[in-house]
Amino acid sequence: MRLLTLKLTQFKNYTSQGLQLAPRINCFVGKNGMGKTNLLDAIYYLCMCKSQQSLSDAHLTLHGEAFFRLEGHFYKNQKRYRIVAKVQARKRKVIECNDVAYPKLIDHIGLLPVVMIVPDDTRLATEGSEDRRRFLNNTLSQLDPRYLRDLVQYNRLLKQRNAALKQMGAERRFDAALLATYDEQLLAPATYLHQQRAAFQTQLVPALQAHYAAISGGQEQVSCTYRSALSESNLADLLVAAREKDRILQRTTVGIHRDDLLFQIGEYPLKKYASQGQLKSFVLALKLAQYAILRGEKKESPLLLLDDIFDKLDPSRVRQLIELLIEQEFGQVFITDTDEHRLASILNQFTVDYRKFRVAQGQIIDAAPDEKAQ
Amino acid sequence: MNFSSKLIEEAVSAFASLPGIGKKTALRLVLHLMSQEREITDQFAEALTQMRHNIKTCQRCHNLSDDVLCNICRDPRREPHTLCVVEGVRDIMAIEETAQYRGTYHILGGVISPIEGIGTADLNIDSLIQRIAEDQIKEIIMAISPTIEGDTTIFFLSKKLADQEVKISTIARGVSFGGELEYADELTLGRSIVARVPYRAKGE
Ligand SMILES: [Zn+2]
Repeated sequence: MRLLTLKLTQFKNYTSQGLQLAPRINCFVGKNGMGKTNLLDAIYYLCMCKSQQSLSDAHLTLHGEAFFRLEGHFYKNQKRYRIVAKVQARKRKVIECNDVAYPKLIDHIGLLPVVMIVPDDTRLATEGSEDRRRFLNNTLSQLDPRYLRDLVQYNRLLKQRNAALKQMGAERRFDAALLATYDEQLLAPATYLHQQRAAFQTQLVPALQAHYAAISGGQEQVSCTYRSALSESNLADLLVAAREKDRILQRTTVGIHRDDLLFQIGEYPLKKYASQGQLKSFVLALKLAQYAILRGEKKESPLLLLDDIFDKLDPSRVRQLIELLIEQEFGQVFITDTDEHRLASILNQFTVDYRKFRVAQGQIIDAAPDEKAQ
Repeated sequence: MNFSSKLIEEAVSAFASLPGIGKKTALRLVLHLMSQEREITDQFAEALTQMRHNIKTCQRCHNLSDDVLCNICRDPRREPHTLCVVEGVRDIMAIEETAQYRGTYHILGGVISPIEGIGTADLNIDSLIQRIAEDQIKEIIMAISPTIEGDTTIFFLSKKLADQEVKISTIARGVSFGGELEYADELTLGRSIVARVPYRAKGE
């Protein structure tokens, strides 16, 4: 699978820009704030119907304009897919595939698998459980349409249940029948999501360990454990047991929205015991494991978007990563870097074609002809 | 737009305040009225005023009505023991268009959605339960949008009615294009009411 052309209109700091992309490695180079990451985000948007940076659509529109448009021509299994995103203020956003708009955006997710690696990924190890659940959801949604459908349903029911608890609190009454209705509706999606997450963890651990060993070269063993209240008991019993607590706190205190992944190094929690270098290697290994699992399940190489990792990783790790990307037959890769010579000097150590785009002020000022390394 | 007359300007903005009517269309409508006899405009205004002042809500089914009971509730040819539960007035109109249903109706006034501030007490649920006993209802057809909130509403009602001697059925879900009954084309909607299925809660 690959992206042939990309066109941005009033997206972030781009007024209008078209790009012809190389089949293997594409490098976007330029100073910070010039719009390199925005190109990656545009590609991500065409695959996932939203920004990787969790920005609202209004914030993705060029300042002062009312809409943005993205167009990408993809090639997959001998078929062309022309994906267009039309996003306009106060209107329903439209994603089209070969001129037909999806009735529901979620129907598009999974067609074009993508993994984006950003400096901010260390949050996965250092921040709260929400980032780790988002990682689970991102991967499983691309693998399984039912997972995404059930997740949307679960989240909507949860929001309604929490609003109902708030309303009951404000009106000083308790509607047990309504809560019981939500509890029963939550059961089926929660059970499915839990099963899929548990199954994913058993796939994730060996992939994580293999990639960690390859990147760090270290001897320490890493692991990850899926933790969920649903592993101990079924949701119906848990919700009944938590009902009094929920009533007082006016929100749902138990369910798969509280799940977490625990990361370990040796026998210890990663966040407390890992060095900065180990932590970065772990998170990178986690994302590469995600890539490997997506590739294995979809029988297709996802697009790989690497944002600014060269500023955050030391040169030997970067070299190892590039080697991995080239030798393990990753599909199409998009890399941003502030230093074009650093990137070129590493790429030139391998036999690989790449295309370099110089980015300045929301414009591609120069798309160099493909460089052939010796 | 520049108006020579304040009166015209006010009439235009009155029309333009209606959904789907822009300034240009509004002006065309006003000029059209101007080109006709004055009585036509009087009748037009009178129809709106009469409607707004005298319209009632049917005491039995909550439909819009000229009297205490609406046309449907008063009609002796309607099957009185079959009840179709809908969200709003437009759903009744859509189902009546199909001419496939001969029972009566009950308007809930929406679906349960605490996010939008609509709780169970905000809907016509108590009057529904009261009616089932009073009118000896034998079958209830739930014609509610196939959304998560619609599901919650049907599920909640079926729990409330669990100890009553009443058969609950739903129209085939997914029949409505765009999520609302009024968009369903007449043929599929009519067919789905005839081919309604007994309601079974999930997991049963
Ligand atoms: Zn009536």
